[in-house]
Amino acid sequence: MNFMDSIQGMSFFDMHVHMISRTTDDYQAMADAGVVAVIEPAFWMGQPRTGVDSFRDYFATLVGWERFRASQFGIRHYCTIGLNSKEANQEALAEQVMEILPLFIYKEGVVGIGEIGFDDQTPAEDKYYRAQLDLAKEANLPVQIHTPHRDKKQGTSRSMDIAIEHGVEPGMVIVDHNNEETVREVLDRGFWAGFTIYPFTKMGNERMVEIVKQYGPERIMINSAADWGVSDPLAVPKTAALMKQHGISDEAIKLVTFGNAVTAFAQSGQLNLEELLEPLTIDQSQRFNGSSVLRGGQAPRVDKESTIIK
Amino acid sequence: MNIATMSQTLFYLIEQQPDSGKAVEYLRQQVDAYHQNPQVSSFYRVFTAMPRFVGRKGIDVPADMAFSLQRLRPGFSVAGWTMDRLARVWWLLQLPADEKTIYVNTISELFKAGELNELVALYSALPVLAFPESWRFQATEGIRNNIADVQSAIMLHNPYPADYFDEAAWNQLILKAFFTDKDVTHIIGLDERRNERLAHTLADYAAERRAAGRSLPPHIELLME
Repeated sequence: MNFMDSIQGMSFFDMHVHMISRTTDDYQAMADAGVVAVIEPAFWMGQPRTGVDSFRDYFATLVGWERFRASQFGIRHYCTIGLNSKEANQEALAEQVMEILPLFIYKEGVVGIGEIGFDDQTPAEDKYYRAQLDLAKEANLPVQIHTPHRDKKQGTSRSMDIAIEHGVEPGMVIVDHNNEETVREVLDRGFWAGFTIYPFTKMGNERMVEIVKQYGPERIMINSAADWGVSDPLAVPKTAALMKQHGISDEAIKLVTFGNAVTAFAQSGQLNLEELLEPLTIDQSQRFNGSSVLRGGQAPRVDKESTIIK
Repeated sequence: MNIATMSQTLFYLIEQQPDSGKAVEYLRQQVDAYHQNPQVSSFYRVFTAMPRFVGRKGIDVPADMAFSLQRLRPGFSVAGWTMDRLARVWWLLQLPADEKTIYVNTISELFKAGELNELVALYSALPVLAFPESWRFQATEGIRNNIADVQSAIMLHNPYPADYFDEAAWNQLILKAFFTDKDVTHIIGLDERRNERLAHTLADYAAERRAAGRSLPPHIELLME
């Protein structure tokens, strides 16, 4: 059975996906599967940056070119801006990044500070995580937390402890990349729990179905975190289909794949439900052009089956 | 152009917008605070956060205001702008212009970190900024930009290019406008800046289009003679 058959008419919000690493084919497939909005958290590039200008250009791309690129496919693109935990370890550079963050966090489409938190759980990571929590508090923005791959359970608890220590309300914090071992504490303490459906390393979506069955849909949200690795930008619609096939209610599916993320990130004042429910009509004046041309307000569709390229 | 008069006129236009009470109050507070303590960080914050405080509604431009703006800066028009764009351009005029290097560097940093709507406002502001000759290169960067709204902000209804571009930059603007399906009749100075080299390049372009079996963009023949 094709997963698309189970999710006809549903809309999805992938609240964590690195579109800068994805192709226009992915955007097209996401739009076709019902993804209407995405959040792209600032992260590393798979290798370390060597200068502050690389960060500046990356942040500018997230609020500029990538947002525009998504709009060509009718997808609203938001982002969270921050210094990721891995690169917090290059302290001299981290200082410079902290200096330019205020230039970006007030921009349109910035719905939080993220993804920040711990990787190796070093003192430098701790320092810049704390500094960015203060920044989020000052700007009244939600925080998107990346929980570590290694020593995950303890690192997740520690991330929440520090957020509370800095006076950030649990309701303003989205703790991401949860699994069976971390979810209970995150929900019990009043934080939002993000789950990343990512093949081989993070959550599989059959496990996700079980989690929603066990914990219910409140304060749980899923994402693909698709990036430059082997990942799946259709993870959210596919998981919705699987939940549907396993008898989870449409209402619960909607909360987990759309509604909860809207509620959590709408606290930024930069997105709202009414806006998201309106189809993104592409202004004729916003057509982009390299050599391809958009006509009739839509991205040109490439017929993948055709040998002819016009 | 007198920057203070332009600033007053734009502010008057902001005041005339329906339901602009809150926005006007906010802008007054910000400009007072900035004059008392002219920190570059607050200059940037107000510019960037503008839509949160003034909204993004389209503005009304009464005929007498359009006329006043034209008289102050020939070719300058705010028709079709949104409130955040208007307020941002007004805000840029609050930057003290007594020291050229500081002035140009401060605004250049905004270009470097600009998102789409900020860039639109920045390129729209070029004809009313101080030290107009300093923005020649930045203006050509706007033409190179790949986002249609940003291209339009510098190419269309904007008198800066016709006033300050050399022939090569001007011709690049026209060619790029055709490539990106702009309505070239909205380019200011289209007729005055016609030149032989441009006619030749456009004729080549038209031949290339025909060879590929593609149609010719509207109005191209006007500039090929």
